[in-house]
Amino acid sequence: MPFQSAKAYARQAAVLTGQGLRWLVAGSWKRVFAILALASILVAAGGFFLASVGLVSISASSGHSPVTAWFLHYTMRNAVRLQSSGKVPPLNDPALIAKGAGHYETGCLACHGAPGRDQSLIVRQMTPEPPYLPPRISEWKPEELFWIVKNGIKFSAMPAWPALKREDEIWAMVAFLQQLPDMTAARYKELAHGDRDATTDEPVTPDHLRALADPLGPVLANCTRCHGEDGNGRGLGAFPKLAGQSEAYLLASLQSYASGDRHSGIMQPVAAGLDQPVLAALASHYASLPAGGETAEPAPSNESIRRGAELASSGVPERNVPSCIHCHGPKKSPRNDRYPAIEGQYSAYLKQQLELFSSEKRGGTAYAHIMHIAAHRLTPEQIQDLANYYASLSSATPPESQR
Amino acid sequence: MTWREKDRWQRLFSTGAALSILLFSTGCERRQSALHPASVNAERIADLFWWMVGGGLIIWAVVMAIAFFATRAHPEAHGVRSARWLILGGGVAFPVVVLTGLLIYGLMLMPQLSSTADIDLEIDVAGEQWWWRVTYQTAAGEPVELANEIRLPVGQRALFRLTSPDVIHSFWIPPLGGKVDMIPGRTNTLVLEPTQTGTFRGACAEYCGSSHALMKFEVMVMEPDAFADWLNRQAQPAQPPQSESARQGQTAFLANGCGACHTVRGTEANGTLGPDLTHVGSRLSLGAGILPVDPEAFTRWIGHTGAIKPDVKMPSFGMLPEDQLPAMAQYLSELQ
Repeated sequence: MPFQSAKAYARQAAVLTGQGLRWLVAGSWKRVFAILALASILVAAGGFFLASVGLVSISASSGHSPVTAWFLHYTMRNAVRLQSSGKVPPLNDPALIAKGAGHYETGCLACHGAPGRDQSLIVRQMTPEPPYLPPRISEWKPEELFWIVKNGIKFSAMPAWPALKREDEIWAMVAFLQQLPDMTAARYKELAHGDRDATTDEPVTPDHLRALADPLGPVLANCTRCHGEDGNGRGLGAFPKLAGQSEAYLLASLQSYASGDRHSGIMQPVAAGLDQPVLAALASHYASLPAGGETAEPAPSNESIRRGAELASSGVPERNVPSCIHCHGPKKSPRNDRYPAIEGQYSAYLKQQLELFSSEKRGGTAYAHIMHIAAHRLTPEQIQDLANYYASLSSATPPESQR
Repeated sequence: MTWREKDRWQRLFSTGAALSILLFSTGCERRQSALHPASVNAERIADLFWWMVGGGLIIWAVVMAIAFFATRAHPEAHGVRSARWLILGGGVAFPVVVLTGLLIYGLMLMPQLSSTADIDLEIDVAGEQWWWRVTYQTAAGEPVELANEIRLPVGQRALFRLTSPDVIHSFWIPPLGGKVDMIPGRTNTLVLEPTQTGTFRGACAEYCGSSHALMKFEVMVMEPDAFADWLNRQAQPAQPPQSESARQGQTAFLANGCGACHTVRGTEANGTLGPDLTHVGSRLSLGAGILPVDPEAFTRWIGHTGAIKPDVKMPSFGMLPEDQLPAMAQYLSELQ
């Protein structure tokens, strides 16, 4: 190519540009479309090129650009608004709130903070940074919170609920979240730490650190938050009484939580993180505690208890519902110690377990399939009567181990 | 003969052989064959059946003979008059006479077949998915319940009251009679008078769900004295377990809650959802006519219930500790 002056090049470029513009303006819609297609291919190829050579900014430390942040939030809010729907159950039940609080401390606190508790400093270095929740809850409707807690959110660190079948637990979480905006630090401590909060007000001394020498200490402290120090479930009906339950049943249940055979977004993560010897030690510990404790549940009618007693001893043969007493007592002969003792258990807890069994959402030990068959045809009234009846009995001693 | 023709003959021959094997094999199992009647009514129906087969064969032979005569022996055109006689006689008059005769014979048979007079014995049978609840009404008092087994005294008239709590089943003991539907909300009756002793086999004859084909039962026709002894023994409560293994089996049986669905009279097991097991060890079959009655079969049945009988209501108990299944099997086999 012969040498040309810069001026000549510039002139040539101006001519070409002029030609191109004339060509575009005079063109048909087909030509405009072709140009747009070409341009988008070029943009995509350019983006891919940047990703290929490693020039895209992926560091959490740099955060999102304001445009990206706005667009991601815009997308998320619209998706949650559209995809959440459904009936909201009553959410002011203290049992639901306590259950949600217990799990909030386990699963949510580190990222989202709580009244009187800061977010983890490590978590705050994430992009997007998880919001400190108390002042933000009011931005969402309960069904939207339910959707977020259940499904989690892609491209953020918000995980889905570990047991998607357990929508009742997710509603418990939402019930707690509804309380967050007005919650005091003291109230949070009371809800999430149960009867341990009495001791936390005492002065801390080096003696308290000795508990760390006990390998079971921190684990047990975590169980205690919900189930109470005496293992009797804090009288709410939200958490089952574990005290006095048979060791074999407790261990099998912990193992089935750990393996995911028993479904619970609350208990699965707790049990899955513990070693077999720890599970065995916990089962042994709770089996050795005396059953008992106060209940805050309202007293049911004698009529309901009587109907429950009748159901428990005879079942409903015409609807293929077997009796309860042959497996769960009360009866004189020994029972399989893999069958839980349910005498004196909370009515609300029994009712919920029967509902989960009848909808086949509970899962459980290798024996759980028996209950799916047994509970499948119970009516809601019968479930309530049975729960009232067994709750009205005094906690029995665990069945003799028979093997 | 071309290869094609040879092929055709071969095919004809093998089809014929297969058909005759099918035909004769139905006669092999006498205890489930309607062609070997063993009750008064079944004999009457079998008589009618053989008369019809014989008559049908004769008519078929005559029709073939006429066809041969008309097409081969005398292929030329036949007279209109004789053809008209043949059509009116063979096509109208003859069937009217024969079918009217059969109708009258059949109608005369019906009151005898459905008569419920002079009953010696009453038995309630309920078809349930997928087993038979059998209840003997005894003169002494308490009805005696058992399952998947019917025993009858020879020469006595037994009235069956047939019901169903779930879906339509059909009660059929081919050598004795039946194929009477068991319809929810209705009680159908059937009278059987066995004429010979022996063991027969009954089945559900109406599709009733996934394990319909596994809903069988055993029928034993006995001398009246032996029958009375048997019924008397069935009315007794269960005998306590004798061997150590059976004792452990009984403890496991009660501890695992089997009594919620099964009754063993004389123990706390009083469930009524499933078969009464008071004398299950004395029965002729297990699982409604599908397994023998021995400890091994009990072990298999309790451990793999759903695999042996799909969709059965009883949960499988394969998760029990290993030593419990054989002990329970021993206990149940000893319930004579």
